[in-house]
Amino acid sequence: MIKRKSCFCAILLLGLFMNRAEAHPHVWVTLHSEVLYAADGTMMGVRHAWTFDDMFSAYALQGISHAKKGQYTREELASLAQVNVESLKEYAYFTYVRADGKKLKFSDPVDYWLEYKNAALTLHFTLPLKAAASAKLMQIEIYDPTIFVDFEFARETPVSLSGAPQCSLTYDLPHQPTPAEQLRLSQLDSDPLDASSTYGQIFANKMLVTCP
Amino acid sequence: MTRPRDVVLIALVAILIAGATDILPAWSAPFGAPHPAADLSASGLTGWIFAEQAAVYRSLSTFIRAAKENGGAIWGLFGISFLYGVFHAVGPGHGKAVISSYLVANKETWRRGIILSFASATIQSVVAIVVVVIAAVLFGATAKAIGLTVHLVEIISYGLIILIGLRLLYVKGRSFLIALRELRWTQAPNLVFASAPVANGTAHRLSPERAGAIATRRGQCMVDGCTVHGFHCHDDQHASAWAHAHGPEPADLAGAGGWRRGLSAVVAVGLRPCSGAIIVLIFALAQDLFWTGVGATLMMGLGTALTVAAMATVAVSARQIASRIANSRAGAGMLAMRTTEVGAAALIVAFGVLLLAGDMASEQLWMFTG
Repeated sequence: MIKRKSCFCAILLLGLFMNRAEAHPHVWVTLHSEVLYAADGTMMGVRHAWTFDDMFSAYALQGISHAKKGQYTREELASLAQVNVESLKEYAYFTYVRADGKKLKFSDPVDYWLEYKNAALTLHFTLPLKAAASAKLMQIEIYDPTIFVDFEFARETPVSLSGAPQCSLTYDLPHQPTPAEQLRLSQLDSDPLDASSTYGQIFANKMLVTCP
Repeated sequence: MTRPRDVVLIALVAILIAGATDILPAWSAPFGAPHPAADLSASGLTGWIFAEQAAVYRSLSTFIRAAKENGGAIWGLFGISFLYGVFHAVGPGHGKAVISSYLVANKETWRRGIILSFASATIQSVVAIVVVVIAAVLFGATAKAIGLTVHLVEIISYGLIILIGLRLLYVKGRSFLIALRELRWTQAPNLVFASAPVANGTAHRLSPERAGAIATRRGQCMVDGCTVHGFHCHDDQHASAWAHAHGPEPADLAGAGGWRRGLSAVVAVGLRPCSGAIIVLIFALAQDLFWTGVGATLMMGLGTALTVAAMATVAVSARQIASRIANSRAGAGMLAMRTTEVGAAALIVAFGVLLLAGDMASEQLWMFTG
């Protein structure tokens, strides 16, 4: 009797545990990001090129009129590009910048367009900082907190830096948690991170620009 | 003997708490967007499911393309679609939570739990197909228009969930109050009677409220001593309270009216189409394989139904075991059941409000194209 009940409880707990799983990605973005610096050593903004997966590309292209089947020109895609960058504003363009730990803000995107190649759409856009900033350590992260969009740096040329020869750029990919990190994650409920913790950032696509 | 029972009661409470934990992060969201690390804390089993379902979803496009070249590949596609449905439903999503809460609050049977799960998953697939047929196939609408349509349907769905929750909350709240009153008024005289020799007449001076409060606190031992004191009538009283508060017994629920009532919950939950299904359908349409996409969507629905039904079965079983315990304990046990039902009903309302307010992470199909 008790054995059956404990079996039942195990199934129940399993169900509960599963219930706490988080959102599912439905959009996959492979990105290349270029950090833009001015000649005076201040950061101006970020230039993104986001390539969507083929299924989401097909979805986004639904109903877009085009002259040739299977081909879309930049002009034909102009209105969609406009819609894309306008909708992204609500999500802060999934791009988060900190200058020596202090959060910076972006203005509306400029120079945006869409390109269709190999059954995939690529959204190009530049995010200018509201005010140019300089810092010893500039940290740029790209992620979707809701995980609806899965971001991943492109394998080839994931990141680049323009206009700051004195600075160096490194990047980190989101990775599978190591055993130590996994242990720490399992304790998050009982022993939460304090506000100043930067622990979670290891799970974002992260660029670091260090300047002298 | 009491131990396993307590375990089950605790388990039932845990279901509600787990449902609530789905809501809690949403409350805290306005104070700072949760970081992906919070999501990745789902390591181990959930992490595996998370990774699996992502991999399965991504392979769908390969399978659809293969189906274009080779008709036989369609079976592989259907298999993978079914698998995707199973994994996908394991994740978050209010459907499972709302249906489980509904079943717990409404004292539904196991069989009905499964049927309701399958019905809601089927409606969900059919809505996705209908949206795509009308918007994309007939009108050549853009992703923006489709996103808006889905958003509108979603708002209606959440509104219905709130209405169903409120109705349940009203009905269950009332029966909770009835159980509470019964517990106070039927047991108060017993207590006075039982304690009279000890209290030696002082009981007369107790105000009714005070006597009621004591009776509530002592409810447990009163019930244990019930037959000894010849108050066996308790059971009958509670049985009638049960019937009053909850309308028909489970056996009667199979009638036409019962089904119609279940239908409202099924429609409310199933109305919101899955973003994945919409994307897959449009992708299939772009490959001139619309009917293949329809088949894949229905298979996804079947997989989803399986997971939701499993979850619903767990909820219903927990509810039934708990109610058996409640029956044997009368008084306090009954009150605990009523509390659970009210809690489940409140949870449905909370889900609906949070979903409507957009505070709960939902799949935002219009993220890029809105």
